[in-house]
Amino acid sequence: MTDRYDEALARYRERLEPPGPRVKRAVMAALADRGHGAKGQSWLRWFFRPHLVQVRPLLAAAVLVLVAGLGAVVAILATQRGGGNPVATMPAGAVLVRFELTAPDAGQVALAGSFNGWSDTSTFFTQDAETGVWSVTVPLAPGEHEYLFVIDGDRWIPDPEAHALVDDGFGNLNSMLVVGPRGVVRS
Amino acid sequence: MGQVHRGDGAEDGLLVRQVLAGDQHAYGALVDRYVAEFGRYATALCADEDLAADAMQEAFIRAYDALDGLDHPDRFGAWFFRILTNQCHNHRDRHRHHASLETVEVAGADSPERRLEAEETRATINRALDELTPELRETFVLREIEGRPYAEIAELLDASEPALRKRVERAREVVRAALRELV
Repeated sequence: MTDRYDEALARYRERLEPPGPRVKRAVMAALADRGHGAKGQSWLRWFFRPHLVQVRPLLAAAVLVLVAGLGAVVAILATQRGGGNPVATMPAGAVLVRFELTAPDAGQVALAGSFNGWSDTSTFFTQDAETGVWSVTVPLAPGEHEYLFVIDGDRWIPDPEAHALVDDGFGNLNSMLVVGPRGVVRS
Repeated sequence: MGQVHRGDGAEDGLLVRQVLAGDQHAYGALVDRYVAEFGRYATALCADEDLAADAMQEAFIRAYDALDGLDHPDRFGAWFFRILTNQCHNHRDRHRHHASLETVEVAGADSPERRLEAEETRATINRALDELTPELRETFVLREIEGRPYAEIAELLDASEPALRKRVERAREVVRAALRELV
């Protein structure tokens, strides 16, 4: 029976043809028919194109000095207002949420979620040298938040200790966390 | 949320960013890449080449419309795979009673008997695939028809390898039973 099965599948595969170039023709025609089908706005495209910029050394030096001076003033003002304290930058009503992951073999762990635009390069965990546990604490507004852990920049996994897992709409699972109005919620 | 399977994720990311910046030709490059990558999968999942063409067209247009919301452009391939799979299931369900009766062009060297046998085999397998749940059908096509490695399928379907082996086992039983009835 295995032979018959294998033979039948081999025959099936022989007859299997991909749709071919007509797909591309139809897709590109459909997009072109939309008229201003281009995704980007014309003014926005300017930022993505290379531009030749001519610089006069003396003028460039003056601009650099001016920018550095403005930066220093802004930094001093921020320090005077307590801007160095991360808690001061918390959104109103936010609570601190601590995320933990035991991954002793990981070289780097990041937190990506609905609260940081699913960025895998903005919120990094630190590892406890003794226990090997990775953790990070972030301020989150009350409500539902979906998130994943990103290990070594390329492995996206749900939180093994997540309160809930939800479908991301494409058949995969995201971890979900519900933050209440008070207190620290641990994931 | 599996890792992007084939191709170059970074290159996909670059193409997606170019499309978002207004370069439609960059989208053509993505279409070329993923017709080649998933074309046979779509034909098997839809049970028909024409239906697969329709499903792929719709999937590419839907993906284009939703591209602004793609959080990780480097993972376009895995994201598009899910959209395509859903489109294929929809098309297959809508045309279930017609697709498996379609005839295909067969190489002229085949005798009429062989052509008939090949067509019967194809129709029998397609009918068996109709009996499977979408998850079993996807897994069976990726593994048994396309011969993709379990590790790659696990990434595409975001399932563990043991779970996938179970799915393939169950799907095989259904297809084998159908083939047994084919005299």
